[in-house]
Amino acid sequence: MKEVWVFIEQEELKIHPVSFELLGIAQKLAKDLSGKVSAVLVGHNVKPLVEEIFAYGAEKIYVVDHKVLSYYRHIPYVYALTYLAKKYKPEIFLIGATTLGRDLAGGVATLLETGLTADVTELSIDPETKNLLMTRPAYGGNIMATIVCPNHRPQMATVRPRVFPIPEREEGKIGEVIEEKMELTEEMAGVERIGFLPKEKTVNLEYADIIVAGGKGIGGKEGFEILKELAHLLNGEVGASRFAVESGWISYEHQVGQTGKTVRPKVYFAFGISGAIQHRAGMQNSDFIIAVNIDPEAPIFKIADLGIIGDWKEVATALIRALKNRRGS
Amino acid sequence: MESYSFDVVIVGGGPAGLACGIKLAEKGVNTLLIERGRFCGSKNLFGGVVYTSSIKEIVPEFPEVSQSPVERPVTEEGYIFFSTKGVVKFFHTKSDSQEAFTALRARFDAFLSEYALKKGLLIAPKTKVVDIILENFKVSGVIVDRPRSFKDLRPAEVKAKIVILAEGVNRLLTEKAGLVKGPFKPEEVVLAIKEVLQLPKGELEKRFGLNEKKGLAAELIGEITSGLPGTGFLYTNTNTLSFGIGIFLNTLVNSNLKPYEILERAKAHPYLHELLDGAEILEYGAHLIPEWGLQGLPKLYGNGVMVVGDAAGLVNPLFREGTNLAIYSGIMAAETALEALEKGDFSEKTLKSYEERFKESYIYKDLLLFKNLKKFLLNNRQIFETYPNLIYEIFSLYFSAQGQYKKEVVREIIRTIKRKRGLFGVLKDIINLGRLFW
Amino acid sequence: MLNILVSIKQVPDTTNIRINPETGTLIREGVPSIINPYDVVALSLACYLKNQFGGSITVITMGPPQARLALKEAMEFGADRIILLTDRKFAGADTLATSYTLAETIKYLERENPFHLYLFGKQAIDGDTAQVGPGVAARLKVPVITYVTKIENIDLKEKIIILHRKTEKGVEIIKAKLPVLITCEKDLAKSPFVPLSEILKAVKSEPEIFAADGPVKFEREKLGLKGSPTQVKKVFTPELKKDTLIYDLSTTSIDEVVMKIIHILEEKKII
Ligand SMILES: Cc1cc2nc3c(=O)[nH]c(=O)nc-3n(C[C@H](O)[C@H](O)[C@H](O)COP(=O)(O)OP(=O)(O)OC[C@H]3O[C@@H](n4cnc5c(N)ncnc54)[C@H](O)[C@@H]3O)c2cc1C
Ligand SMILES: Cc1cc2nc3c(=O)[nH]c(=O)nc-3n(C[C@H](O)[C@H](O)[C@H](O)COP(=O)(O)OP(=O)(O)OC[C@H]3O[C@@H](n4cnc5c(N)ncnc54)[C@H](O)[C@@H]3O)c2cc1C
Ligand SMILES: Nc1ncnc2c1ncn2[C@@H]1O[C@H](COP(=O)(O)O)[C@@H](O)[C@H]1O
Repeated sequence: MKEVWVFIEQEELKIHPVSFELLGIAQKLAKDLSGKVSAVLVGHNVKPLVEEIFAYGAEKIYVVDHKVLSYYRHIPYVYALTYLAKKYKPEIFLIGATTLGRDLAGGVATLLETGLTADVTELSIDPETKNLLMTRPAYGGNIMATIVCPNHRPQMATVRPRVFPIPEREEGKIGEVIEEKMELTEEMAGVERIGFLPKEKTVNLEYADIIVAGGKGIGGKEGFEILKELAHLLNGEVGASRFAVESGWISYEHQVGQTGKTVRPKVYFAFGISGAIQHRAGMQNSDFIIAVNIDPEAPIFKIADLGIIGDWKEVATALIRALKNRRGS
Repeated sequence: MESYSFDVVIVGGGPAGLACGIKLAEKGVNTLLIERGRFCGSKNLFGGVVYTSSIKEIVPEFPEVSQSPVERPVTEEGYIFFSTKGVVKFFHTKSDSQEAFTALRARFDAFLSEYALKKGLLIAPKTKVVDIILENFKVSGVIVDRPRSFKDLRPAEVKAKIVILAEGVNRLLTEKAGLVKGPFKPEEVVLAIKEVLQLPKGELEKRFGLNEKKGLAAELIGEITSGLPGTGFLYTNTNTLSFGIGIFLNTLVNSNLKPYEILERAKAHPYLHELLDGAEILEYGAHLIPEWGLQGLPKLYGNGVMVVGDAAGLVNPLFREGTNLAIYSGIMAAETALEALEKGDFSEKTLKSYEERFKESYIYKDLLLFKNLKKFLLNNRQIFETYPNLIYEIFSLYFSAQGQYKKEVVREIIRTIKRKRGLFGVLKDIINLGRLFW
Repeated sequence: MLNILVSIKQVPDTTNIRINPETGTLIREGVPSIINPYDVVALSLACYLKNQFGGSITVITMGPPQARLALKEAMEFGADRIILLTDRKFAGADTLATSYTLAETIKYLERENPFHLYLFGKQAIDGDTAQVGPGVAARLKVPVITYVTKIENIDLKEKIIILHRKTEKGVEIIKAKLPVLITCEKDLAKSPFVPLSEILKAVKSEPEIFAADGPVKFEREKLGLKGSPTQVKKVFTPELKKDTLIYDLSTTSIDEVVMKIIHILEEKKII
C-alpha cells in the first residue's frame, strides 16, 4: 500500500504544529491514492509523543529512538530518514518548511537521489497519473509553479507552515508503531551543540488567532500604539507591512509577508496596507480578512472579506471604544 | 603597496568619458576610466533621443550593431502645446529614420562601455574620485575613495600624465582643479524629472500609431509645468515611454512643489491622462541639466587636465543635444591628449589646442548663438504660459469657423491675441527672440 | 592557511522584478543580474577570513555564459581562482542535478589541496529553495551547518570551528571539525570596502571555463534537465478571487461598520 509520510518535527518533546498540518493534508492525499498516512518520529525518548501523533491522523508511526538523536543535527537525522525511506519506500515524503525541516530535507533527497520541491503551498494528486502536484510561489510570489516528480520516489516536498489547517484531534485513535534500531555514533554527527541562546521575547505571529496589522497608512509609531491596544483587547498580535518595519515603527518580528512571516489567523486586520503581492503572500490564507484603506483601488480589497473604505484611525478607535464598552457592560 | 600610474585617467563613464576612452584605447594609450556607478549608466538618466552622426564617430558600425542600445528610430518629431482646454500638435513625420533614435541611459552607456572594453579600455566601476592630485601647479592624478589594499586603508592615489574630467553636471572636480569658480547657481541648471512608463500590452503602438520601425519624440510646452518655466518631453521606447519635465531649479525651489508633484500634476491634464491611462511606473528619477552656457563655461583645460561634456556645460536643450556634444568634446580631448603624449608635454601650452578645436566646432558656435536664450526664457515666462493657450485658442477659432463669415473669424482671432498678449507684445516677443540669434 | 571554496549564483535582482501578466513569465528586460545577496555574504566572509588567516579563495558558479560577470565581481573579494561551469548540458538543472555538478567539480578541484570551508548562501533569491548547500554537503560527506550568523572562532591547528546558527527558537552555538559546509545568513559578514587593487584585478580577470566533457568527468545522465527528477508542469499567476463586502465610510456610518466587525468577531468566537 502506498504510504504518505510526514516527518514529525519535535524539539524537547514538543511537536511543531506544522507536523499536524501535514498530517491533515497527508490524509487527503492518502485518500486520493488509496494509501495510508505514516509518521516518522526521530529523537530520544520520544515514545510519549506517539499518542498525540495518532490523534492527528497518522495510521502508522516509524520511530527511531537514539541518544545521538536527542537534539537536531543534520547528519544523524538525514541518516535515520534515508535509512527508513530506503527500507520502506514511501510514495510521498512531506517535511515542514521550517528552519529545521529545510536543513534536513535537502540532505535526505540528495541521498535518496530524488526530487525535492521547496516551500510548497498547495498539494494535490493528479487524478490521471496519480503523481503529486506540488505548487509553490516563485519570484517572490509573483508567479506560482506546479512541480511534479514523475519518475523518482519518494516525491518529496517541504511545506510552508500555516498554509494547511490543523486537523481535528481524535482522541484515543491508535495504529501500528514500527520501531527501527540503528547504529549511530557521536562521531558521525560531526558537530556538537555547545551552547544555546534562546530568543528573548518572541512574537508568536504564525500561530496567532487574531492579527492586527498596519502599514504605511498608519503614519508612525504612535499609530501602532493604537493597534497594540486593539490587539490587546482581542488577545491578538500586531503585524506589519515591510514598509512599517523599514520605517522603524515596529520591529522585524512583526513583519508579515514574503520576507516576513506567513500567518493564518482567524481574523486578519489590514489597516493602511495597500496589499502588495509580497505582503499578500504572507497573509492571504487567513480565514477572514478585514481591510481598512482610504484608497478604494487598493489591491488589499481584492482579497479582503470585509473591506472598509475610510480612515484606519476612525475605525480602529471606534472599535476599541466598542470593545471596551462591551467589557464594561 | 600597489601604486597606479597611467598615461590618462578619465573621471566618469558617461558618453563624454567613454567616447574619449574609446578613442584613446584604440590608439593603445594606457588609460583608466573611473566610474562611481555599479556599471556605466547605472547612475544616469536622460530624456532619450540620440543622434547617429555623433555615435558613428566612436562606433562606426552604428546603428548596425548587435545588442543595439537604442529603442526606436524617431520618425515623428514635434511639439505639443498644452492649453487648459486641449492641445495643439505640430509634427513632422518621416517614413523611416536612421538619424535619430530613442534610448535609455542604462543600456546606452552599458553598450558604449562594453564597446570600450573590447577596444581595450580599462574601466574601474564602483569607484569614486574624491580629489585631484596637484603637484607644482599641475594636475598629476586623482585620489579615489577606495583603500590602497586590504591592510593599507589610506585612499588610493592614481597617477596620470593627463586627467580628463567627464564627471557630468555636478563638476566638483572641475572646481577643485580650479577650472571654474564655485558651484553653479540654481538658475544655471534645470532639474529634469523623468519616469519610464509601461502601458498595457499593445497600447503603445495603438495610442501612438506606431509599428516597430516607428517612434515618436514630442516636446511638451504649456499647461503641464505647473506655471513654471520649463518644458516636458514624451518619447516612445520599444516597450515603454519616457516622460519627463524640466524646470529651472531656482523657480522650482521657489514654487515649493516637490519634483514628483510636477509630474503628477502634468499627468492630470486630460490629454496626458487619456494618453497615459493605465501606465505603470517602472522607473523614476531626476537629474540636472547644465544651462550655464557660455557665460558659465569653465576654462576647458589646465596643466595636465581637460574637462568635457556636461561638466563643461555643453548642452543645447532646444535641440536635445547633450549626448552628442559630450561625445564630440570627448573625442576632441582624446585627440589633444594624443598630441600631448606624442610631444611629451602635458602643460597648458599643449592642452590649449583642445580649446582651439572646441572653438572651431559647431558646439561653440551654437553656444554663442543661444547665449541669451536662457535669460530670455526666464524673463519672458509668457512663452510658457500665454502662448500655448493662445495657440490653442487660435486653432479652436480657426477650426470652428464653418458657417461664419471668415472675416469675423479673423477678427475674433486678432481680438484673442490682443486679449492674451497684445499685438505689440507678440511683436516684441518675436523681435526679442529673433535678436537672440542675430 | 585556510582554503575556502565559495559557490555563488547569478540571479535577477528580484527586488524590482516584474511579471508579464498575460504570459506569467518574467520580464527580464531592464532587470539587472546580480550575485545572489546571500552569496555576497559568503564572499565577504571568505574575504575576511583570508585576510585573517591567509590562504586562498576559489569561487565557482554554474550558469549561462553571462554568469562570468558574477565571477569577475567575485574577484573583488580577493578570490584567487574563478571557475564558470557553463554548457548546454548543464542547463535546466534542478537542485539535485545542481548539487551533483557542483559537488563533482569541488571533488575535482580539491584533489591535491582540500578545502577547509565550503561557503554557500542560505538560499538563492530566485528559487528560494535553500537545498543546494545541504545537497552538496551530503555528496561531499561533510557536515553542513545552515543559517550561520557568526563565526566565533577558527582553530586551524586543531581544525575546529565554533559558530552561531539561527534556529526558530534562538541561536545554537556549534562546534565542528573542519572541513564543514556553511550556508550564510545575511548578518554573517559585512561587505568589505575592497581596495582599488582588487577592483582593477577583477576588471582584468576572466574565469576558467569548465564544460560537461571536461576537465571534470561527469556522469552525463546526472546533468542538467536529464539529471533532474523534478519538472515544472505549469506556471501561472495567482489569481485573486473573493466576494468582498465593501463599506464606504463616506456613505455608511462608522457605528454600522463597527457593529459588523463585532458581529464577525462574535461569530468566530473571538469575543
Ligand atoms: C523582494 C521583496 C520582498 C518584500 N517582502 C515584503 C514582505 O515580506 N512584507 C511586506 O509587507 N512587504 C514586502 N515587500 C514590500 C512590498 O512590495 C510593499 O512595498 C509593502 O508591502 C508596502 O507596504 P504598505 O502597504 O504599508 O505601504 P503602501 O503600499 O504605501 O500602502 C499604504 C496604504 O495605506 C493607505 N492609507 C494611507 N493613509 C491611510 C489612512 N489614514 N487610513 C487608511 N488607509 C490609509 C494607502 O491608501 C495605501 O494603500 C517586499 C518587496 C520586495 C521587492
Ligand atoms: C532629463 C534629461 C534629458 C536629456 N535628454 C537628452 C536627449 O534627448 N538627447 C541628448 O543628446 N542629451 C540629452 N540629455 C543630456 C545628456 O544626458 C548629457 O548631456 C550627457 O549625458 C552628458 O554626458 P557626460 O558624459 O558629460 O556626463 P554624464 O552622462 O553625467 O556622465 C558623468 C559620469 O561620471 C560619473 N561621475 C561623476 N562624478 C564622479 C566621480 N567623482 N568619480 C567617478 N565617477 C564620477 C557619473 O556616475 C556619470 O556616470 C538629457 C539630460 C537629462 C537630464
Ligand atoms: N548554479 C549554481 N552555481 C553555484 N552555486 C549555486 C548554484 N545554485 C545554487 N548555488 C548555491 O547554493 C545556495 C542555495 O541555493 P538554492 O538552493 O538554489 O536556494 C546559493 O546561495 C549558492 O551558494
